[in-house]
Amino acid sequence: MIKKIILITSVALLSSCADTTIQDVGDKFLNLINPSDPVVEVADLGESEIILESDNVIFSEEDLALLSNDELILVAKQQGFEYIITVDSEGNLTNREEIVSALTQSLSTSETLAGAASETLEEGGVSFILYFSYDDTEIDEKATQIIIEHANFMMNNPKLLLRLEGHADERGTREYNLALGENRALSVKEVLGLYGLESRIEVVSYGEEHPIALTHDETGWQKNRRVEFIYQ
Amino acid sequence: MKILKTLAVLLALVSTTAYALLEVTIVKAEENAFPIVISPFEVVGNADQGATIANIIRDNLNRSGQFNALSSSNVVTNKIDFSYWKNQGKDAIVFGKVEQVSTKVFNVTIYVFDIYTKKKLYGKKIAVHNSGIRRISHYLSDKIYNILLGQKGSFDTRLSYVTVTDDKNLGRIYQLEISDSDGQNAQAVVRSPYPILSPAWSPDQKKIAYVSFKNGRSEVFIKYPFMRVKSIKIPQFDGIASAPSWHPNSQGLALTISKKGNKDLYFYSLKSQNLDRLTKDVAIDTEANFSPDGKSIAFTSNRSGQVQIYIKDLTNGKIKRATFEGRYNAKPVFSPDGKSLALIHRVGKDYRVALLDIKTRDLTVLTQNKLDESPYFSPNGGMIIFATNRNNKGVLSVISLHNNQIVELAQKGVEIREPSWSNYSK
Repeated sequence: MIKKIILITSVALLSSCADTTIQDVGDKFLNLINPSDPVVEVADLGESEIILESDNVIFSEEDLALLSNDELILVAKQQGFEYIITVDSEGNLTNREEIVSALTQSLSTSETLAGAASETLEEGGVSFILYFSYDDTEIDEKATQIIIEHANFMMNNPKLLLRLEGHADERGTREYNLALGENRALSVKEVLGLYGLESRIEVVSYGEEHPIALTHDETGWQKNRRVEFIYQ
Repeated sequence: MKILKTLAVLLALVSTTAYALLEVTIVKAEENAFPIVISPFEVVGNADQGATIANIIRDNLNRSGQFNALSSSNVVTNKIDFSYWKNQGKDAIVFGKVEQVSTKVFNVTIYVFDIYTKKKLYGKKIAVHNSGIRRISHYLSDKIYNILLGQKGSFDTRLSYVTVTDDKNLGRIYQLEISDSDGQNAQAVVRSPYPILSPAWSPDQKKIAYVSFKNGRSEVFIKYPFMRVKSIKIPQFDGIASAPSWHPNSQGLALTISKKGNKDLYFYSLKSQNLDRLTKDVAIDTEANFSPDGKSIAFTSNRSGQVQIYIKDLTNGKIKRATFEGRYNAKPVFSPDGKSLALIHRVGKDYRVALLDIKTRDLTVLTQNKLDESPYFSPNGGMIIFATNRNNKGVLSVISLHNNQIVELAQKGVEIREPSWSNYSK
């Protein structure tokens, strides 16, 4: 049954990719959207106000009723409820109802969190910042997974629009940096485009004109080479 | 009383804009400069501009790097003590006269004498309105430069640049300013809370193209600084529009426009209002600059995987790479003779102004700075103005290509950047 739930998720992911040709983007992303990949740690979104679960499996009481006790134990462990599982001497689950209620409550909690996030986001604040290397627009695997979190978040919040602001550090010329900043934001948009979100994304480049850090050293430059995710 | 107070506040506001003076400092003076003495002009009648004219000429000549100009303590008239100035090591002497004709009109007379041959090299009498004293001083500086060196000067010209001020109440203010070539007479022509960059004087000096973020993204505008008309916005597609460069005929400009994420160079004609594509490459193409004959454009591209400079021949469409030294060369500008490019070259971790001989591919790094940006030639090709960083603040720097003398233009509490040098005034 767990397999079934995961399968549903992966179908949802793949169907949302169907609008864009995956070949265009290359095998890199094919691997990354494979649902068997490890779950990204939420801690990666430390700077963000959004709390996202990468396998955003929907638990309703009806869904959970279909699970066997063993499957329910697995789901509970996966969702961090290992501590409330009680079993008898033969290993049989004794508090099935308690676990079902904990799991359904966790769903409503995460709904509330997502709601709170989108509320603060509507004010137009920066919700997430992705950093880049010098003169680089490359999105590595870790960054891609973070962007996929945002794709899921956007799919779960279909009214949200995303403004991607590309920035560069002060080194090199202003006009080249303006172009570089746009390419950084565009490479983020490219990943989100796999999920058919292109029409909800606006890309803007500020080049080196809006630095976060004002020091003229690598520590400052590193903070300024970035794409800001601004939900609207 | 209240009216007086308001007036005082208004006056204070006016005076801060009118006297946003640039401090001009010769940072690095060099030898090998023409020794010349400039006398305060003799004043006839009620005229106090005698010293003003002489000082402007002296400072102009010194800033060029070509001259070592000193003021004489006494006013020199027709009786020149040639042997005294010869002993002082001077090669030429400039003196003159300012006569009041009416309340606002003056006659300015100027003489240039060779100290060795005792010959008059130049003599001229010009009638000038009081408001034209600065202008006539720049005009005469160009004359002296030309008579003594046989080359054109760059004094009767203008600068444009961007200032950034952090105001306690208003926040960050960006101003597009224009000034005389010596940084004096500065006026703001655009004032905005949003970034302004890449101003460029049209060769006919009637327009300035620039980039503004006032609508939330980079867009190219054309400003008519001497006319009461609104700025014109150049059309764009779905991404950035930036990096304007005028065609020598002032009737169109090359710029960078992003279309479906691809940044290429386009030509916009003011007459037809059409955009023609100049480059087509998936890489970044930007920072176009027209050659003085209008037949080619130099530009920055990362099409090789590195940031390098290319030149497109517009007559046959061929694109050739121009820079081969180093891994980062950007923002090319043609010298007025079209033979070299000033550019930003990365040396180790530093970005410095360099000069490229297009034919021989010889690259000469001109500065020792860390973060140089936006080089621009003086219209006679004798100097390059650029932006750099001094004590964590943006200043403009002018380097003489004659002897590498450096002059800096700074403004107290204000960041200055993005210089552009106009053609000769008409």
